[in-house]
Amino acid sequence: MSWTKICKATDVAPNSLKKFWIAGGIPIVVANYGSGYAAMPPVCPHMEEPLEESGVISNCVLTCTKHLWAWNLQTLEMSGTETEKPIKTYDCKEENGDILAFVEAEILYDFDDDDDMDDDAFFNKSS
Amino acid sequence: MPARNHTQWKANPGLEPGEWVDSRVYSDQTIFENEVDQIFKRVWVPLCHESELPKPYDFRTASIGGEPIIITRGPDNEVRAFLNVCPHRGMLIERRPSGSFLEGQPSGNPKRITCMFHAWQFDMKGNCVYVAREKEGYQDRLCKEDAGLRRLRCEVKFGGFVWVNLDDNPKIGLEEWAGEPFQCLRENIDAEPLEVFHYHKAIIDTNYKLWHDTNSEFYHDFMHYHNRVTGFNDAYFARKNFAFKNGHVVVGTFEVNYENYEGFESRGELSFPHLPPNQWYMVDLFPGFNFNLRGSALRCDIVTPLGPDKVMIEFRGLGLKRDTPEERQTRINHHNSIWGPFGRNLHEDLIGVAGQGTTMRPGTEPRNILHGRHENQTIHDEIGMRHYYDEWGRWMNRLPNNPDQPWQERNKEDAVAVAE
Repeated sequence: MSWTKICKATDVAPNSLKKFWIAGGIPIVVANYGSGYAAMPPVCPHMEEPLEESGVISNCVLTCTKHLWAWNLQTLEMSGTETEKPIKTYDCKEENGDILAFVEAEILYDFDDDDDMDDDAFFNKSS
Repeated sequence: MPARNHTQWKANPGLEPGEWVDSRVYSDQTIFENEVDQIFKRVWVPLCHESELPKPYDFRTASIGGEPIIITRGPDNEVRAFLNVCPHRGMLIERRPSGSFLEGQPSGNPKRITCMFHAWQFDMKGNCVYVAREKEGYQDRLCKEDAGLRRLRCEVKFGGFVWVNLDDNPKIGLEEWAGEPFQCLRENIDAEPLEVFHYHKAIIDTNYKLWHDTNSEFYHDFMHYHNRVTGFNDAYFARKNFAFKNGHVVVGTFEVNYENYEGFESRGELSFPHLPPNQWYMVDLFPGFNFNLRGSALRCDIVTPLGPDKVMIEFRGLGLKRDTPEERQTRINHHNSIWGPFGRNLHEDLIGVAGQGTTMRPGTEPRNILHGRHENQTIHDEIGMRHYYDEWGRWMNRLPNNPDQPWQERNKEDAVAVAE
């Protein structure tokens, strides 16, 4: 894939997020932070909360309201005191009134899922 | 037999020990509390069926001995059980009887279990994944890694039922505990996935063991008027009870002639896999779980004792997962016409145990409850109850006919012979 049209710039109001699907069934959230746009996977890297519902944008900072993880969408730096992981984004540009993102493959987060211990080993642990 | 005075009424019945029980086993508060601690918190309990949580992130809540339990299906399709108790302040975490964690809750997140009280969160494996203001509140004295849920022994077995044991180190494994009595049903219920199509529960003012007693003999069919006038035949009464170790009993099969039941039809076409047409097996597991396969439908009764004189009985009906809608409807008709809340038998069985519960309320005078019928192990024989109370006596260290006394093994010649 390459630069892909996601939506029109006017589809996403300032300081809001909206979810779109592109070819291949890939979900992408577009954020309008006032002075620009960002395109990202549709979930918070913390606990998969849908960002188009839980996200709030103010002063270029996107905050997931569930646990207050936050990122500056201009610099992509982590913001606030709670955030533990960076946000991942697609390269994004505005061209002739359209929002385009550079999508090679769907960006996914790795949510920890360690392997199970054998039952008997688990239930006999002493500490 | 003339009527009896008080002394005569209270006297021992003149049967062998093991052939009657003292009614305090059904009515005494302390005995009930001992049963919860010494039996229910140590045995394998079938809490639900895996088809009740078919998709990843589905859950079902239940309880054993008053301890709330949550059963989840993980993204890896594994079914796991946890105490439904938040490790923070002891809040009941999930209040719904069943549902899915796939979608986020207003105070939770997708794919996580969330305690609504202070938003501590857990994944489907019981790992704690979020402690609110962890660093601020606990500095480095306690962290998520210290705050997982209590996981419980859990196995999906014997037709897809979900078995949980509150004891981390049960004295016997599930296969060894119930594998032999289930042998008669295994090829029928393990051939392909089953699915629950019926659920209802009854809360009855009676002791849980009285329900199991009813399931352990069939000559109370004298109470089932319609069975009696249309359904009985010699083969029905010739069926035998077989005792298995660990207090379990199996009632052998016979071919039911449903055409003789007014308004009924043969169930042969929808028989469970490998089951000859219209056969009927029943497995009674200690201390109170019943699996009853009547040709085309499997019924399962699970008791949850709520007090010496209160029991919740959960009734499930199961068919084959692959049923067409038409097959399923026929199976439901077969199930409900006998076992539904308005079926042929079930309400009458509940009247029986409710009447016993009325005479054996806590505080009523102890009396003798007879289990002394011997009729060559047939369904008129009370062997199932004698075998059950031998097992009960061992777990409780009480003599069923004199529960203030410790259990003593019955003489070998008097004890119920166990099937090999």
